Amino acid sequence: MKVSLSWLSTHLDLSGRSTAQLSDLLTFAGIEVEGIDEKGVDSNKIVVGQILESVQHPNADRLSVCQVDDGSGSPRQIVCGAKNYKVGDKVPVALPGAILPGNFEIKEGQLRKVASNGMMCSGKELGLGDDHSGLMILDPELPVGKLFKDLIQPDVIFDLEITPNRSDLLSHVGLARELAALTGLPLKGLRDHTKTTTPAQPGTSNLKLEAPEACPYYTARIIKGIKVGPSPDWLRQRLESVGLRPINNVVDITNYVMFEMGQPLHAFDAAKLNGGIVVRHASAGEKFRALDGNEYTLAESDLVIADQSRPVAIAGVMGGEESGVSDTTTEILLESAYFAPSVVRRTGRRLGLHSDSSYRFERGADPMQVQGASELAAKLILTIAGGTASDTLQFAGAPPQLVSEVALEEARMHRLLGIPDLKIDEAHGILEKLGLEKRSASTDKSTWGIPSYRIDLQRSVDLVEEVARVVGLERVPSRNVAVMGTGDAADRSYDQAMQIRHALVNRGLNEAQTLRLISTAQLTDSLGTLTPTNVAVPVKNPLSEDHTHLRTSITPGLLATAALNIRQGNSRLRFFEMGRVFLQLPNGTSREEERLALLVSGPIAPMGWTDADPRAADVFDLRGIIESLPGLGGIEIKRIADNDTFLLNSEIRNGNRVLGWIAQIHPARARQLDARHPIYVAELLLSALRQGSAGHAKFEDLPKFPSITRDVAMEAPADLPAQKVAAYFSGLKEPLLISTQVFDVFADATGTRLPADRKSLAYSLTYRSAERTLETAEIDQAHARILAGLEKAVPVTIRK
Amino acid sequence: MLTELSELKTEALTALDSLTDETSLENFRVAYLGKKGKLTAISAGMRDVSPDLKKEVGAKLNEVREAITSGLATRQEALQSAKDASAVQGIDITLPGRPGLGVGSIHPLTTIRDLAIRTLRRMGFVLADGPEIETEWHCFDALNTPTDHPARNERDTFYLNDGRLLRTHTSTVQIRTMETVKDLPVRIIAPGAAYRRDEIDATHLSVFNQLEGLYVAQDVSLADLKGTLEFFFREIFGPQTVVRFRPHFFPFTEPSFEIDVKLEAKGKEARWIEIAGCGMVDPAVFAAVSKTRGDNLFDPENVTGFAFGLGLDRLAMILHGITDIRHLIENDTRFLTQFS
Repeated sequence: MKVSLSWLSTHLDLSGRSTAQLSDLLTFAGIEVEGIDEKGVDSNKIVVGQILESVQHPNADRLSVCQVDDGSGSPRQIVCGAKNYKVGDKVPVALPGAILPGNFEIKEGQLRKVASNGMMCSGKELGLGDDHSGLMILDPELPVGKLFKDLIQPDVIFDLEITPNRSDLLSHVGLARELAALTGLPLKGLRDHTKTTTPAQPGTSNLKLEAPEACPYYTARIIKGIKVGPSPDWLRQRLESVGLRPINNVVDITNYVMFEMGQPLHAFDAAKLNGGIVVRHASAGEKFRALDGNEYTLAESDLVIADQSRPVAIAGVMGGEESGVSDTTTEILLESAYFAPSVVRRTGRRLGLHSDSSYRFERGADPMQVQGASELAAKLILTIAGGTASDTLQFAGAPPQLVSEVALEEARMHRLLGIPDLKIDEAHGILEKLGLEKRSASTDKSTWGIPSYRIDLQRSVDLVEEVARVVGLERVPSRNVAVMGTGDAADRSYDQAMQIRHALVNRGLNEAQTLRLISTAQLTDSLGTLTPTNVAVPVKNPLSEDHTHLRTSITPGLLATAALNIRQGNSRLRFFEMGRVFLQLPNGTSREEERLALLVSGPIAPMGWTDADPRAADVFDLRGIIESLPGLGGIEIKRIADNDTFLLNSEIRNGNRVLGWIAQIHPARARQLDARHPIYVAELLLSALRQGSAGHAKFEDLPKFPSITRDVAMEAPADLPAQKVAAYFSGLKEPLLISTQVFDVFADATGTRLPADRKSLAYSLTYRSAERTLETAEIDQAHARILAGLEKAVPVTIRK
Repeated sequence: MLTELSELKTEALTALDSLTDETSLENFRVAYLGKKGKLTAISAGMRDVSPDLKKEVGAKLNEVREAITSGLATRQEALQSAKDASAVQGIDITLPGRPGLGVGSIHPLTTIRDLAIRTLRRMGFVLADGPEIETEWHCFDALNTPTDHPARNERDTFYLNDGRLLRTHTSTVQIRTMETVKDLPVRIIAPGAAYRRDEIDATHLSVFNQLEGLYVAQDVSLADLKGTLEFFFREIFGPQTVVRFRPHFFPFTEPSFEIDVKLEAKGKEARWIEIAGCGMVDPAVFAAVSKTRGDNLFDPENVTGFAFGLGLDRLAMILHGITDIRHLIENDTRFLTQFS
């Protein structure tokens, strides 16, 4: 909300406080200052001048030499670069000694060897708007020599963020009240907003409240014989200073009162009203054309002000186009009322229609100033637009009681605030300054009457907050108490995740972070899910079609990352990401799963003088990375169905447990990403990695006796998974066999050295005993036994 | 024979001088000292030497053998040391090293999160966690947010078709934790993703990262809040950091504050930068938790606590001087490798 310092100063004397001091004062009262705009210049050296003569500068094409009447009696010579004036125009003239915004002092001097004794100013140079296109041309009627600051008063505009609980600060009176409480400055002649001199009379026949919960209190005042026209300058300036556009005197006055007191008002053209006012809920489907020119279809939850035939305003939000005040209006009905916040909020939200009025009603207006605001507006209308007001204020209903007594408990206050030197008298003093009224006090507790505008003060803790806010945190001592924390699963998985990150970074991978919301199209890039569209959780109200679902896999994000990097000319892609995926379960609930995703593609190493063209990564590079992950035990691969995105699509398993998935991106999909090298991806469940890393590693005695290796080569069908051979070896109960290692794989597609449907596998078997050095004979026996069994278990032929 | 030996010595030592490789040295050894070598052949003639000359000839034979053997050894050594010297010849150690698999990088967000977590763990906080798909109750009701509060708006919050939502803050973990713990104190931090229906631009992401903190015990006061967070931010930004607490409003804390730290940007005057929100847990939050628990562990009359939340993306941007938040999710390698 924009607040004018000059306006605020009509209520309390803030002179002598710098803008920075005021900004701090507001900030530490909990009112965030989002912007400060200093307007105009408070200077006795800027006057209205008239240009008497303008001739071309002898030494500069773009400059003119002007003679200006500054009211002193003798013309002043000023060199000027602007072109937008004509001789006879009146403009602001800064005389030598004037200081313009930006601490720019005007001095007598020469411009290109011609004397220049001052400066004619643009609006921007005077801190008024951004118009720098030329001189600010003034009203020709203005007397020459008049001080510019009397013409346009200097002002400071604060842009404040008022927190939603403080609706009482949404006006200049409200802020003045708060600042007075915080500074101890007296308020200047502030009208008592709850009192009114006009007698009120129930409007029995022409005011009807049909929805008293939504509108418990409504007042109307008829003013006749007014003349609608432009507002006087002071009023226009007030409104413009807080960012409002002047419309006409009546509308401007209602807006002025709203920014003055915080009470929104509305003026209807009484001639356009058909009979008395009814405040009622709209009927479903009812149409309404608002002042913004749009037609709205109303619902039963919306509250309207209606005449006898149609709605004429959406209560608290916006008036109607037909019944608004226009140039031809002579008689108005001035509305001042209280509307319940929830009703205004609901309607505003439903229609997407928001106004300065609804902003205030939504947060909660002060029902006790409904009459006062009406009276202030009426007084201003009579003064500015003329006319006569009816003797009485008509009303229906009664102002609701929104506040009641609240207790301040001393013990609670101390426990929460922890300020040892805070005495209860000081706390009471603060509450009193804020306008609260002490009703009773005992040793440990006092009760307080709450001003009608402080609807946020409902509970004891709310009073404690007020004390804390005013005392400030400066006085609170900093306390540091060590408390031991017992770590649990969340701590362990965090540590493990960091360990995995470091392991991957050591293998040259870059950690990525992608959005958890992805598009419907990206779902098909999901790894580890055969039916991603079935298990993806859709967002009901996505922001765009790029973010329609929660991801079921991290791979779509990593593929987008790959595509971005390829576009940037980077073909060496090594990424990993850790984070959640979301899966819809058949029973309607969902599961959130922590995963690790990997993507490698392109040269395995950076190019360098030792290898100018490193080979491209293949699937075994990726498998190698996976096998090196801390916490992962032995893995097996189970092929699953390929699809349009994934080839070599496989589950990574340990026995029956699925640990993750690995695949190559289908070349067709890779081409869409402009990839020049095959792309390999994998995802692992972090829970799977966690299982392998339980407990502390246990030490094993180092072998005392030498080991012996025996190699074996075998021929196998080309499509026999090597994993079957490995599984045979690992399933053996041969105590002497310590380990096996595949060290050669050979196939020949041409069929020359080996039939094309065959391949050759070579393994190295290591034998050792913990008790003795093995005899050649016992190794030979074991080896022969193992090979004989191998040929029976797996369709291979041992090559002798 | 003496003459013969003298001539052989001269011949051998002369021949040795011209030999420059191992093979020729070996050939030389065979030719002179081998079983069928010249010296061996001459020494076979010792049998025929008259006894009175035997001593002199024997001495000469030894002298010649010694001369040839040591000449050969010297030569071999010279050759080996020339070879050793040439082992590093041509190596230009000024060339850059082999890159191996290259150096990877931890995402800057992870680094900052880890820094925050390590710091808070030193202060006795433990990690806690909660779902990102949440109920409206955990995200709003339990956190004392009015039913018609604008934050619940479909314009601001992502909903699922079943009425659940994507949590708009990690404060939900406060509730999740208090619902399940067995004892006090609760002293937790919860890093995690949160969602808001913001158009993505230079300063907004629809999915962003927060860190939540909660400490609940019998007598937690503003003094604890202040001490904890001042310490924390000085650990993060440096011991000289000035921290200020501005009164603010959040539905789930009262009193509430926003925390600013004074930071200097390059060549600019130091500015207050908003960095976190905090406050004393609102009794209404304890009441909501107590209602679902059905016990008195969090009786609002008995316990107090403080909570805080900070935006990790923002913290990373401030600490690293990142000007556009989108860099954090685009993963351009040129960006990521700046943090290796």
